[in-house]
Amino acid sequence: MPSTLWTHCIIEQLKNYHIRFLSYVPDSIIEQILKLARQDSFFDILPLAREEEGVGVVTGQYVGGERGALLLPTSGVGNAINALASLAIPYQIPMPMFIGCRGELGEFNPSQVPMGQALRPILDALRIPHFELTHPEEVNVIVDGALKLAFALESPVAVLMSTQLAGWKDEK
Amino acid sequence: MLNRLQATRYIVHQVTDEPIIASLGNPKFDLFTAQDRPQNFYMWNSMGMASSMGLGLAMTRPQQKVIILDGDGALLMNLNSLTTAAARAPQNLIHVIWDNRQFELTGGQPTHTAFCTDLAKLAQGAGFEKVETVETQEVFERTFSRALREPGPWIIVAIIDTERAAGRPPKSPTYIKHRFMESLGVKPV
Repeated sequence: MPSTLWTHCIIEQLKNYHIRFLSYVPDSIIEQILKLARQDSFFDILPLAREEEGVGVVTGQYVGGERGALLLPTSGVGNAINALASLAIPYQIPMPMFIGCRGELGEFNPSQVPMGQALRPILDALRIPHFELTHPEEVNVIVDGALKLAFALESPVAVLMSTQLAGWKDEK
Repeated sequence: MLNRLQATRYIVHQVTDEPIIASLGNPKFDLFTAQDRPQNFYMWNSMGMASSMGLGLAMTRPQQKVIILDGDGALLMNLNSLTTAAARAPQNLIHVIWDNRQFELTGGQPTHTAFCTDLAKLAQGAGFEKVETVETQEVFERTFSRALREPGPWIIVAIIDTERAAGRPPKSPTYIKHRFMESLGVKPV
């Protein structure tokens, strides 16, 4: 059974790092975080139509003096590649990305799998550090460390929220 | 028909310390020529991202107007950003779209606005209420001044000629970023 505790850890770490702005395209994993964030007046939540927008939005928030994070599904990384490569990376923008994993353990939909398989090679090709959450007891330290790195390196850093941690869709 | 450089010169004469996000290509070239202010953010690639970056900046600085200088081709590449910005509707946002109905830098290939696409109608359909299409310098000046004074968000579609921009701003992304942030009183991490 997926634990609900991991979502609380992420919320608390976002607050520790003063990350007030959350921009998102939803999936079922991200919704577990949003459910908590909506109940907390600390957060200002922006729904996007496409993930690429979020790269621009978080960049604008950062140069304006505020910190934002991007919550997106695996498929959305594909939609955001050029904005990451030509804006967030060369302009050195700290950009925490929380990615809901699809196309991996427990996937029912074959059309999700190719992007799931390409996710890590794409992040590696862009030299975006990425860390996977699989065990609830590791979430706190990994998210803490990933956020610290994003602001130290001034770069996008990805936290991959696995189905092992967050559960998968029960469709056959 | 407007001239982009002449209209950009009017913008920089009207603003004081308001930040301006300039899309890749001609919008940022002419902004540099009009006046190289530290409050100018020059995009060197990331086509389409000016509208999204301007939205993010406007969300963090409600006390001042935030101006986006966009192009028709760039906005067409990120049209969905109109729906996101309209839903959020920051009152301090002024989104100017220079529409020359072509990809001027790559050889003048027509954009969809050369045929039947109307960016102002798309903005209205996205949910923007203050949307103006302007075709002369005089009307542009009146409209932009109003947008600076009155709450928005504003969309100004400016129909311009096809003159190529000569200016070339600095290319270093980190120089552009740090200078911009410093001008807004924002310290880097």
